Amino acid sequence: MMRAAIDRFFGRGDAAVTVPPMDGALRPNQKLEEAHTALEARAPDNLVLHGGEVLFSSGRDLRKLQTGTVVRSFDRPIACVAAAADGRLAVGLTRAEVVIVEPRGAVVPLPAAQTSCATALSFVDDALIVCRGSARHAADQWKRDLMETGAGGDGTGSVVLFPRGGVPRLLAEQLRWPFGALPIGRRIVVSESWAHRLVLLDPSGASPPEPVLMDLPGYPARLAAASDGGAWLAVFAPRSQLIEFVLREDGYRRRMVSEIDPDHWIAPALANGRSFLEPIQGGALKQMGVLKPWAPSRTYGLIIKLDDHFEPILSLHSRADGTRHGTTSMLEHAQTLFVASKGGDVVLSIPTDELIEQ
Amino acid sequence: MSPVLEMRAITKEYRGVAAVKQVSFTLESSEIHALVGENGAGKSTLTKIIAGAVMPTSGTVLLDGKPVAFNVPKDALNAGIAMVYQENSLVPALTVAQNIFLGKEQFFNRMRGINIAAQQFLQSLNFGVDPTASVGSLGAAQRQMVEIARAVRQKARIIIFDEPTASLTPEEKFHFFSLMKRLKQSGVSIIFISHALEEALQNADRITVLRDGQHVLTDSAANLDRAAVIRAMVGRNLSGEIYGVHAAGRTVRKRGRKVLSVQNLSMGSLVRNTSFSVYAGQVTGMFGLIGSGRTETAKIIAGVVKRDLFHGGEVKLDSRPVRYRVPQPAVRDGIVYVTEDRKIEGFFETMSIGGNLNICAMATKGGIFSLVNMAELRRLAKKWIAAMKIRAINGDARVIELSGGNQQKVVIAKSLVQTPKLIIFDEPTRGVDVGAIAEIHQFINQLADDGMAVVVISSYLPEIINLSDRILVTRQGRVVEEFTAREASEERIMYAAVH
Repeated sequence: MMRAAIDRFFGRGDAAVTVPPMDGALRPNQKLEEAHTALEARAPDNLVLHGGEVLFSSGRDLRKLQTGTVVRSFDRPIACVAAAADGRLAVGLTRAEVVIVEPRGAVVPLPAAQTSCATALSFVDDALIVCRGSARHAADQWKRDLMETGAGGDGTGSVVLFPRGGVPRLLAEQLRWPFGALPIGRRIVVSESWAHRLVLLDPSGASPPEPVLMDLPGYPARLAAASDGGAWLAVFAPRSQLIEFVLREDGYRRRMVSEIDPDHWIAPALANGRSFLEPIQGGALKQMGVLKPWAPSRTYGLIIKLDDHFEPILSLHSRADGTRHGTTSMLEHAQTLFVASKGGDVVLSIPTDELIEQ
Repeated sequence: MSPVLEMRAITKEYRGVAAVKQVSFTLESSEIHALVGENGAGKSTLTKIIAGAVMPTSGTVLLDGKPVAFNVPKDALNAGIAMVYQENSLVPALTVAQNIFLGKEQFFNRMRGINIAAQQFLQSLNFGVDPTASVGSLGAAQRQMVEIARAVRQKARIIIFDEPTASLTPEEKFHFFSLMKRLKQSGVSIIFISHALEEALQNADRITVLRDGQHVLTDSAANLDRAAVIRAMVGRNLSGEIYGVHAAGRTVRKRGRKVLSVQNLSMGSLVRNTSFSVYAGQVTGMFGLIGSGRTETAKIIAGVVKRDLFHGGEVKLDSRPVRYRVPQPAVRDGIVYVTEDRKIEGFFETMSIGGNLNICAMATKGGIFSLVNMAELRRLAKKWIAAMKIRAINGDARVIELSGGNQQKVVIAKSLVQTPKLIIFDEPTRGVDVGAIAEIHQFINQLADDGMAVVVISSYLPEIINLSDRILVTRQGRVVEEFTAREASEERIMYAAVH
């Protein structure tokens, strides 16, 4: 208690308003901005490979990337999708449960109590992993969940394993918005957005989450397997000192949440420039020869490639002045990396042979 | 025309060991004469004889064709010979203006008058130093400027500069060499000692090379090139070993895990909200002009100085926030800083090599009640003398008796005794001869190859480009640019450092 008060007074420890640098493998570039447009679509989100074809979710629709045609529509917006090798599809619906779409078209809902607020799904053998972002809010209320959790609050997210025909098993709880899951070997790596880290989970649920990559400079989203053994990680928004400060100011956030439209909060966002009421970003003032940024960006596009030890080895960026922001998902298929830019309303394609380690 | 200064068969022995042996040297009127050689070659001894700081054992010194014998530096000064020493001779407690006028005061002195005169004089030399600032508060480069200004003000006929540009920025060096040429035009003869061979080749009229206390070569600079000078200095071709590896297509090391993350670090106006990372198994070069906050950032990381009290940012070592008030806990956590100013901060000069190494070993492992184990001390000294190729009789040799390059090796060995995981070299080869530079570079590369996180701060671009796997450029207190080894060029780095 005393320690926290001292830290808050001096701005150190947990109260230090700092963000890690984007350098080394995360050095900014223009690769997402320069990437080829595979398809323009409204808010493309979760990319999956199903029956040899790349599908993506867009609003209530599940669409084919190659043609843009709708494969299937649901009565609620799709929050997340996963495809199994046997042809099943798992679809998480916003403010509803996860449903399994059998190859013959039958739809089997999973228990809503254990699958609400699904943010990411992944099949491991026959079992389905469900990342539940929060126990308080729906998947589309992620911004509200972040603002209520704040910088030091406990998360209410969890990861649940659904064995086919078996009893669901809780693998981890009190996670801070788990937003991506990828089975690697005998374990599962999960991204925790509000904690800016990746953790390894034991499928038996016997051991606590083990952090493997910490202090990311943004909010991590979904994970995908890389063809050479590593993994791809999407980061949908950047961290900034301004937002880190807001996340430490409980009173300010309470008032902002109660009085202002969520689109205009000082919070991470998927897209910007859609309303003159939203906070300006990227503004700067040159004073006495020194550039003083006063409105740091709230949106960004970033895809990180991780090696098999979860160390970043290369990255693709859409910077503050770009448009391909809000990257929530990616998929490597046929020597091409597909990236869904939810904020930029576009799916991008980048040949993987053009990507070299930084 | 007879030379203004002539030295005939000069020998100087210390306890029977010759520091210079039968050296003959001439300095013409209005000439810039560069004196080069490895550390321990006898350059400083020779110039100290000219300046009256050291008496020769044998030989003759002729000034304007007449034999002279200077017993003390004042004799030389009265004869019109001034020397700017490598170890500056300023009084830290006095102001810049007071130091410039030291020894030339009038009976009644008005501080305002002295300050104005000093200000005008410094401006005429293009040196941006505040005359009212205390010398103790100045950095190495600014002290050097004051030292040079003082020598010039004494209106000497012969001025000797010992490593005058070691701590100057490229712009300050440009002003310095312009000043040297102006002095030459006004009839002053200049001897300058430099390890930067390009400076000698570009600015000197003649170059004299010494090796192992003996005269090797004197020739017009126009007749010499870098390779010829190095060959004369070390007796073999070393140029390729030092700065040619990069051009030959050196492989860049892969990044290991992130060892250090500096986040929004601030310290007054010197370090401003800077952020960067350092990785294991790589050499991270850090380049910036004097005053760009490189050294201060390194010192904050190592606990030598403190960051801002309020919102000073964070330093994370292996993802764990650390904050050091003194260096000892940093050393225990595996962070060591190899200082740029080895003479002041690097070692205890009157102690032996073994004593210096043992102190650092005790700082890591021992407590306040640790006893000095003489056997351990000797073992340490023997081990590191061999590992670092330190040229000394044995571990009992006092550090002050070693040449600059070997002193630097002792400083590096002191740091490595502490088995660090992150080592920060600040100007590791400043004032070090070319032979030792090659060995130090090899050692730094070896540390990175062994998986250690290495940071090299240097003002010398070829060194940064050659050594580093990635290069960070600092300007106005923060890291402003990052280059990979493949992208880096002198022009791009300098552009980032200035604009």
